[in-house]
Amino acid sequence: MVELYLNGRHYKVDVEEDTPLLWVIREHIGLTGTKFGCGKGICGACTVLVEENPTRSCITPVGSVKGKRIITIEGIPSYHPVKRAWIELDVPQCGYCQPGQIVEAYALLNKNPRASKEEIISVMSSHLCRCGTYGRILKAIQRAQKLMEVKA
Amino acid sequence: MITRRDLIKLGGLGLGLVLLPEGFKLVKASENPQIKPHLWASITKDNYLMLLVNKSEMGQGVYTGLSMIVADELDFPWDRVIVKSAPARDVYIDKKMGSQLTGGSTSVRNMYEFLRLLGASVKEMILESASREWKVPKEKLQARMGYVSYANKKVSYGELWEKALKLPIPTQVRLKEPSEFIYIGKGVPRIDTQEKVEGKAIFGIDVRLKDMVYAVVERPPYFGAKVKSVDDSQARQIKDLLDVFTISSGVAVCAKTVEGALKGREKLKVEWTKSPLEGFDDERLSQYYLDMLKKKGVVARKDGNPTLLLENTKRKISAVYLLPYLYHATMEPMACVVDVKEDRCTVYAPVQAQTWTLQTAKSITGLPEDKIEVYTTYLGGGFGRKSNVEFVKEALEISKKLKKPVKLIYTREDDVKSGWYRPMNATHLEGALDEKGRVVALYHKIAVPAVFEWAGRPSRVDRAAVEGIENMFYEIPHVHVEFVKVDLPIPVWFWRSVGSTHNAFTLETFIDRLAHLGKRDPVELRLELLKNHERAKKVIEVVAEKAGWGKRPMYGEAMGLAYHYSFGSHVAQVVEVSLNKNTGEIKVHRVVCAIDIGPLVVHPDLLVSQVESAVIMGLSATLKEKVSFSKNGPSSLNFDTYPILTMAEAPQVEVHIVKSDGPMGGVGEPALPPVAPAVANALLWGYGIQINNLPMAPEVIKSLL
Repeated sequence: MVELYLNGRHYKVDVEEDTPLLWVIREHIGLTGTKFGCGKGICGACTVLVEENPTRSCITPVGSVKGKRIITIEGIPSYHPVKRAWIELDVPQCGYCQPGQIVEAYALLNKNPRASKEEIISVMSSHLCRCGTYGRILKAIQRAQKLMEVKA
Repeated sequence: MITRRDLIKLGGLGLGLVLLPEGFKLVKASENPQIKPHLWASITKDNYLMLLVNKSEMGQGVYTGLSMIVADELDFPWDRVIVKSAPARDVYIDKKMGSQLTGGSTSVRNMYEFLRLLGASVKEMILESASREWKVPKEKLQARMGYVSYANKKVSYGELWEKALKLPIPTQVRLKEPSEFIYIGKGVPRIDTQEKVEGKAIFGIDVRLKDMVYAVVERPPYFGAKVKSVDDSQARQIKDLLDVFTISSGVAVCAKTVEGALKGREKLKVEWTKSPLEGFDDERLSQYYLDMLKKKGVVARKDGNPTLLLENTKRKISAVYLLPYLYHATMEPMACVVDVKEDRCTVYAPVQAQTWTLQTAKSITGLPEDKIEVYTTYLGGGFGRKSNVEFVKEALEISKKLKKPVKLIYTREDDVKSGWYRPMNATHLEGALDEKGRVVALYHKIAVPAVFEWAGRPSRVDRAAVEGIENMFYEIPHVHVEFVKVDLPIPVWFWRSVGSTHNAFTLETFIDRLAHLGKRDPVELRLELLKNHERAKKVIEVVAEKAGWGKRPMYGEAMGLAYHYSFGSHVAQVVEVSLNKNTGEIKVHRVVCAIDIGPLVVHPDLLVSQVESAVIMGLSATLKEKVSFSKNGPSSLNFDTYPILTMAEAPQVEVHIVKSDGPMGGVGEPALPPVAPAVANALLWGYGIQINNLPMAPEVIKSLL
């Protein structure tokens, strides 16, 4: 039995400690916004936050994050500038990689609200999108920066 | 709501509708109109419009693009429209394709007229219903934004819907004049954005049923090998493991949990029969394709006598191209959930091909069609791959055996090993110029597997093999196009823009080499070859002007242009490229694109996003993609060995829409083919390099310098 603290709620899950966090979140808890893409931590579709750090859940054993604060796409509020900007610019196409992209962008802007274009590209290049929404992702992050400034 | 009886009753009815040229307001429906509004639309009491869409949403925005057409004719507020995928049933078959299928960049083209008639018919029935209720002639009523009004009376469509449904379906409806459109030609926010941003959109891999079992399939390392023996003794020690058994494509490992199934598979020992492909690594495959070029093929087109001309001229060039197998790399690997019971079967799958899925379920379960339900989830990418439903077949076999609902998941490695690639191909081109530098002869011979034959539609000349060449608009007096069929047991399939992916590359780079030989400007040469084709010329002229053709590049060091016609649309692109001569690395800075899909663009921003998407995917293939083979089978099994383009490598993409008269063209695919040749052409003019093989790997480019 593993105890998890996910999106502000406590869960007890009957899994082995070496089970990838991804499958626990998706298949045991049922929050399917976090996606399986490669199983090797390359594509970024499975990205969640562990103590505010973007983490590839497909290669993270659940035993290593017991009791740590985990946030998934479902745990980022709808009114957050990142999600609003994504909607405003109609970023997603197929949408499969987008939760991972949004989680990464959310963490980036929380740490560095004034990240430069180069910094954004450097961080976001660790996420793959086969539909090629890169241009819009960049614009949405820059738009979110504007929305955050207004708020601050 | 739709009843199953309604669905069956309507099966097989022809559309029988004729749209008259503009200027005619009235459209006559046939005696048996397919328009049965209750099968496509329903309006709730509180005024939400629910539409069933018969095309798969795989990122192209089809839920938005199709439903906005109905909402426009019906005059309904966009924020109250809800879209669901239509189940697999005859009534939802795209009559122009003869199948419930999403592909070939046809969705809007094929459904546009029908959906306008549908919207107009529903509106007519709503108006008739209000007219009877208020005893006011229909002509005096107004239907706007979901409400019918007259004088000081106002009622929502939703309140009229039940009564409206009982009225006869109108045989004549008035369609809107283009000036009356509220959404068409302008656009609306995408209907699927919100749920995709919230992580709430349900893809094939996300479906969850009670008491569901997880399955993975161990496949042969090489195509063509079959299961010889299975030792599952260790696998069965794994906690959660339920069963291990052989199915048509390999060995199914089933468990109560996904991690249990994966662990169980790791412990499995399978012996495979020998594959006829054993030993076919990259080198041997290349040689095999090049040897096939020496064989006699089938002539797809012959004008004049190009062979004679080529023999008797000195101003000629030739080239042999070799292009690799490509993997679709949908971000969602194949996955689905199926539930086969004694007396019924339910399928939840991210498929582009509902009719094929239904037929597959019928053949595996032996159940009649009306006992099978196929529901399409969102597709985490399609690009043609998910019109192949072999993965659903596997899940059906497993569920049938276990008598339980099953979620089948492919790992990324399974996905690559399952095949269905864009075919590898070898092409031999020869071309000749006359004394004035005009192209007078083109000889084209391609050795390639027959994609349509793999899809169950064989023909003498495979359509995909020669598309874009056999039907090219370039007017060259002597042309020879020949197809040699390659028959290897490596499964091939439709990959976004299909045969045009390779044929545009070979033809368009070759045109530039002929221009180079004749010391001609490639734009000027193309305009000469296309002098009788206004639409083709126009996109080239527009892109040349917008990109600043003939001037210094803005961001790169060299410019290249390519033009291609596919899926009914004309596209020309100019790319700006720079090359690091020390590393051989290519940077594509800017892609300017002009696209002509005809007189009407239903949703301009969806067109733009599809062009952006096609350009990125095309460029990814150009620079990075190739399924490599070792002696033991495909060896690029994940994104570390099959890399795709990242944000850092993505160029800025500018899209210019050119409008013209003529039939409506497609949007999803046509912008992909020109990218690769445009980049190669920039390298030819800027750096003197000729590219005969893809991808343009830095080490290869360096060796060419």
